[in-house]
Amino acid sequence: MAVAAGWLLLLAPLPSFGPASAAPAAASPSAAAAAASPPAAAAAAPAGASPPATTAATAARAEKGIGPIRFEEIGAKAGARLLHHTRRFSGKHADVLAMFTSGGAAVAVGDYDNDGFDDLFVTDSESGRGNHLLHNNGDMTFTEVTEKAGVAKGNDPGTIVSDALWFDYDNDGREDLLVARFGTPLLYHNEGNGKFRDVTAASGLNKFANTIAVIAFDYDNDGYLDLLFGNYFKPVNLFDLKDPHVLPNNLDQADNGGGVTLWRNMGNGTFVDVTEKAGLGRHTGWTLDVGHGDFNNDGWQDIYLADDYGTDRLFLNNGNGTFREVTEEAIGFDTKKGMNVDVADYDRDGWLDIYVTNITDEYMKECNMLWHNNGVDAAGRLTFTDLSRETGTCSTLWGWAAKWADFDNDGWVDLVAADGLRSAGPKNYIPVLLEMIITPGIDFTDVNSWPDIGDMSWSGFQRKKLFRNLGSQAFKEMAHEAGVDNDLDGRGIGVADFDNDGRLDYVQTNANQPSLLYRNVTSPVGNWIELKLVGTRSNRDAIGARVTAKAGGALLIREVDGGNGYSSQSSKRVHIGLGTAAKIDSLEIRWPSGLREQVTVPINRISYVKEGSGVVEKAEALRPLPPAGPGTEKERGAPSP
Amino acid sequence: MKRTALGTAVAAWSLLALGLGSMAAAAASPFEDGVKALAAGDAQGALRQMEAAVAGEPENVRYVSEYRQAVIKTGSYDRAIDFFEKLVKDHPESANAWLNYGYAYVDKIPAAGAITQVILANNALTRFSRSIEIKPTWLALYTRGNSYLYWPKIFGRAPLGVADLERALAMSKNEPKRVYHVHAYVALGDAYVKTDQPEKARAIWQEGAGAKLFPDEPQLKARLARQGEELESYINDQLDPNKRVDTNLREVWEAR
Repeated sequence: MAVAAGWLLLLAPLPSFGPASAAPAAASPSAAAAAASPPAAAAAAPAGASPPATTAATAARAEKGIGPIRFEEIGAKAGARLLHHTRRFSGKHADVLAMFTSGGAAVAVGDYDNDGFDDLFVTDSESGRGNHLLHNNGDMTFTEVTEKAGVAKGNDPGTIVSDALWFDYDNDGREDLLVARFGTPLLYHNEGNGKFRDVTAASGLNKFANTIAVIAFDYDNDGYLDLLFGNYFKPVNLFDLKDPHVLPNNLDQADNGGGVTLWRNMGNGTFVDVTEKAGLGRHTGWTLDVGHGDFNNDGWQDIYLADDYGTDRLFLNNGNGTFREVTEEAIGFDTKKGMNVDVADYDRDGWLDIYVTNITDEYMKECNMLWHNNGVDAAGRLTFTDLSRETGTCSTLWGWAAKWADFDNDGWVDLVAADGLRSAGPKNYIPVLLEMIITPGIDFTDVNSWPDIGDMSWSGFQRKKLFRNLGSQAFKEMAHEAGVDNDLDGRGIGVADFDNDGRLDYVQTNANQPSLLYRNVTSPVGNWIELKLVGTRSNRDAIGARVTAKAGGALLIREVDGGNGYSSQSSKRVHIGLGTAAKIDSLEIRWPSGLREQVTVPINRISYVKEGSGVVEKAEALRPLPPAGPGTEKERGAPSP
Repeated sequence: MKRTALGTAVAAWSLLALGLGSMAAAAASPFEDGVKALAAGDAQGALRQMEAAVAGEPENVRYVSEYRQAVIKTGSYDRAIDFFEKLVKDHPESANAWLNYGYAYVDKIPAAGAITQVILANNALTRFSRSIEIKPTWLALYTRGNSYLYWPKIFGRAPLGVADLERALAMSKNEPKRVYHVHAYVALGDAYVKTDQPEKARAIWQEGAGAKLFPDEPQLKARLARQGEELESYINDQLDPNKRVDTNLREVWEAR
């Protein structure tokens, strides 16, 4: 039935991607004009030292001359509109299995050719259909180079592409590519000439899993990026079901999912499954997304697992290659449908907070979770408090990816969220599903129990959400005004400054529908810096590096992340909005190796920082290295951040 | 007073209440022992004693209601559901047992996940229906009618709620006025709003707020002070399944 919807989409005119009604379109200056447009507040007085109250923040923005957030959708014009196809199944359970695997519309952002502009990898999921590598031409247009690169494959009759990730696994200075699948993953080595080589067989990444999410981070701080896979179903072949009991055993507290798998990068091109050893083997939830960050400020990357049909999990890194679960004491046990993990210090208190999307619709009022990080108390306990209701970020309907990003450079990270499950015919699947759910003694795990969806819609035609951070624990939803309230079936959001103009743009992927590219045309914006970090002793991508900036009295922290957020990876370049601050008082980088480095960079520029060398020229930063890496495992040891 | 599920003031219950007085004097009943145990922090002992009392008198509104309040306090929802399952097996014609069996599911709802809430709510409805089959009291009709209103509009349960609540309201007009009768006025208006009949809603609330009925009732006043989207939003907020519904039947015996 998903196919039918796809055909309809192809036959019908494409939906409008602009504002929902005839609201005035945002101004759309040319790329050159936009790049030349100076931030309005460059010469203004520094912002106050403490976070202002909500109303004061709003008023201050007007005084500062920062314009309202505005985007224009330029996917088709930019050559970046790609139609995704969900996987069709055959046989008796085709309809239900298609429904349960209707993700796979992913986007990964990364500069694969080191030209200083972030490129795009966009996935498809239908058998025989290829993925797409789009080269960023630097003028807000893209050229498809998939064929030359050799990275189209992945959708075989027995496997489904579900996610993708750029990461430099061998520290040679070139972004390699991992394609996650319901099946075994694919690992492509970047050969440096626009071509990639499939090195999966040699990598050891050969374990079958129904993976739906993947991130790269250095869990043991040994200088090499490891991989954490989030797996949805348990490891069964959905195309050849021997036993139909593969669906969740409880719709609020399921524990028969695929859990996670952690693969340690051995530094020689191979990976070893260390899930059990690391203490993650007991997790058997229906993992939909995984995210990392240093939540307790101890220099080690911790992980948050968002689970569908039940309890999310929080694990802290012990610093010795293992994790300890702190779910109960830190966040408690939830029963929601976790979909997304993104991490940022939204309230500028120096602790990383977490945003998780769930389902909040007319028939299910879960509310998202904005986990405010309370920090570590005197007893050493890390705790979070869900402030989604209080901050106005509770509902993103049927949520998928949600990403933190400072879209107007006012110094406060905003939040953009994709939503919508399945937009098809006028009939609603929910009442049909209800009859199944309330049938006494029904076995939810049995594929045969679930009614076919046919051409029915299910949480479809939902408007996307954009929450502007007003400071002081308040957000204002303004997707319509910003021109991003499309009603497609969103999945991933990849945020990056694609035209290097200091304003963050983003790509939205959609299931069985075309992707969108939103160019940020907010004008004027606040001051900003962007930092491309290059690890030497640390992993080359500097994933896990923390940047701490003090400017205008504000404390601004960012961490380089390796793919946080559902079905998407944002840029690894650090972007910090500064508001009216005309200079940075201090800027420190804490590298995963433990090295702390103070640097000075100009505002409203992209700067390149190499571990141990400070600010360097772009050419030096982006020059590939021989694939020797930062040394042998023994030489590297484990730092003490 | 918050919206609450209340007991009807049928004569039989009045008699029961009289009986309670004499039992309190005796002070050695399992029920009283259970109350004491609960006060002393012995949750398991309290539940055990109260279950013995309820099993002995399944039509005793106070016993059954107080038992469920103890269950809520201790979070022993599944134990209570199991207990009532056995109780209705032993007393299949006890309308009160079936009604409170339904309440036991309602009591668990705030502690459950979103989808389990739906299953619990549906289980409650089937038990309420059985109670109505046995004895269609004001309380049972009000309870089931009110329960339908917690279902999202998309599931089409609100018209069933209208039917039950209209019956309950009509029944109350043939009984001596009781303070808890006001809840049917409130809920029926809500049901009309949920079925897109705002004029009928306003009319029933105005009738309830009449000088001879409940002119000072804050729930009626709050609704009559709102209109349109504000009113809908207010009612939806009141009917949030994540908020605990007060299923304490204390008003039944206090109203006498």
